Amino acid sequence: MKKVHLWLLLLPGLLFLTIFMIIPIFMTIGSTFYHEGEFTVDGYVKLLSDPYMLKILGTTLQVSFVTTLVCILLGFPTAYYISKTKARTKGILLMLALFPLLTSAIVRSFSWMVILGKNGLVNQFLLGIGLIDDPLKILYTPTAMMIGMIHLFLPLMIISLVGVMENIDGDLLQASESLGASRWKGFMSIIVPLCVPGLIVGSILVFVGSLTAYTTPQLLGGKQRVIATFLYQNAMTLNDWYMASVIATVMIVITFIIIGLMNRLARKLNPKG
Amino acid sequence: MELLSLNDISVAYEKNLILKNFNLHIEKGELISLLGPSGCGKTTTLRLIAGFLEAKDGRFMFEGKDYTRVPVNKRNFGFVFQSYALFPHMTVFDNVAYGLRLRKVSKDDIAKRVTDMLKVVSLEGFEKRFPGELSGGQRQRVAIARALVIQPDLLLFDEPLSNLDANLRVNMRVEIRRIQKELGITTVYVSHDQEECFSISDKVAIMNQGVIEQLDAPAVIYKYPTTEFVARFIGFHNFIDVNGLKVNGEQVTADCPQGLKLSLVHRSGHPIVEQMKAAIRPDDLLIALQSELSNGLGGLTAAELETGWNVVAGRVKVSTFLGRSYQYEVETALGTFTVNREMEAPFETNAAVQLILPKEKVVLVRTKV
Repeated sequence: MKKVHLWLLLLPGLLFLTIFMIIPIFMTIGSTFYHEGEFTVDGYVKLLSDPYMLKILGTTLQVSFVTTLVCILLGFPTAYYISKTKARTKGILLMLALFPLLTSAIVRSFSWMVILGKNGLVNQFLLGIGLIDDPLKILYTPTAMMIGMIHLFLPLMIISLVGVMENIDGDLLQASESLGASRWKGFMSIIVPLCVPGLIVGSILVFVGSLTAYTTPQLLGGKQRVIATFLYQNAMTLNDWYMASVIATVMIVITFIIIGLMNRLARKLNPKG
Repeated sequence: MELLSLNDISVAYEKNLILKNFNLHIEKGELISLLGPSGCGKTTTLRLIAGFLEAKDGRFMFEGKDYTRVPVNKRNFGFVFQSYALFPHMTVFDNVAYGLRLRKVSKDDIAKRVTDMLKVVSLEGFEKRFPGELSGGQRQRVAIARALVIQPDLLLFDEPLSNLDANLRVNMRVEIRRIQKELGITTVYVSHDQEECFSISDKVAIMNQGVIEQLDAPAVIYKYPTTEFVARFIGFHNFIDVNGLKVNGEQVTADCPQGLKLSLVHRSGHPIVEQMKAAIRPDDLLIALQSELSNGLGGLTAAELETGWNVVAGRVKVSTFLGRSYQYEVETALGTFTVNREMEAPFETNAAVQLILPKEKVVLVRTKV
């Protein structure tokens, strides 16, 4: 009887998600195979043979990939440091790390526009110290999107990693050293593999977040399109809801492929993870 | 032959000096335990030997070479952790092989040595298991195998049995001793469990506040503690102040407060200093009613008992049933004594009793180190 009651607790959330997410998603996917009264895959053929679309897809994947990689490189040492501090300090540092999440993506993107623009802080500084003669074009490039999204998603990588690192027994590194491993070797062979579950969760969050982000690429990318902004353009500007649905489905498929690949990688790196 | 020595070592942890001018010498092939209450510096000493901690002052010599600044991974010491510290993402085989792979041992040799070592710790057939699939005792054995397979010059144990249940603990300590003797490997063993240390060690060092109070064979410590701290730690509950001593070889006469005179045998070699106390275990102290003394007791004849030497009069205040015996708190002019006696029915509260201190059971201990 108790189990039944527990199921009831699940019901409100489940109902909400079914009505407002799962059913719409299936309707969207279904609609892409049914156009002007008959079954068709023309939308996909048209989309995937369009060089403009492929370029957008390439940019999107590239931006997401670089963003994830940089988040790992920046987040790993930070998370390791945080996980080693005492409980009180840890709380404060984690809050600081999460702070960017508390401001809206729009506000942050506008800040980056001020910093990265033609007369922005970066260019003023570089011109000031005489390193460059003409202002660099950073804003409205994929680089600007990456910078904005790294800033946006780094906290997700850090909390995913801290959660895993906290639970790694501090004696393990010493054990590896006592068996003859240098500190670096011990870190790479013991700590890093044990962090894989956190790396995977963090990477999925960051990658999928970057893949589907709209505000940041829209504001910092200028004429550079990513899938999400392309989708918006199709739906709102061109009013082509059929194409927008096809793009949405492609995004969903890519997301699942990425998650699958990462999980496979995780099993390979850490069989007991 | 001396294998290692700590000379005037000082270790500080966040401004607190844990060890100060600490000295320890260990012979090749022996198992030495560091025993003491938490915070006495035993684990610090072990971690210093392992190289996890660095000495602020002093020198650590190993096989005649200065090891003070040699990093952990160049020492070739095996360390068994209280938490076992097995690598959770590696199989038993890979855990044990870890140190050998770092030493670039050939693949065939690794397979052979790991298999042999797992046989030594009775874990054949467990190669492909992960640590998470093993019981506490099995994990412990993997940890020992992993530390031993690298053929370490020294084996270090940090409270290795404290996470096991009581039965397993007894089995494992016999096992550890067997393996240690079989391989003849010099071992330093840290524990706060007296029975554990006494049962497996060649020598026990009893530590208190960063100082070794006594370093001797277990049987010697058990019978002849040299300091008040050691005596208390190993179960001497009764202490009597000593005002003056008359020493005649091993025969010693001690003048105590209230006119009590104690005749006792002092172990030669243990120094006699100004400030000493006489001590005796509750089990060694005899308790009797006046009427029971007419035939003599505790190796003393009735006539000797008459002289009042080694005898204290008192009253029973508390009696506790311990199973085999009763324990009494006896109030005397010299303070309260704790004494055990095997008997059918206990003395009544407030009964007038005589306490007899057999001369070969009373020891003299220093009040300071």
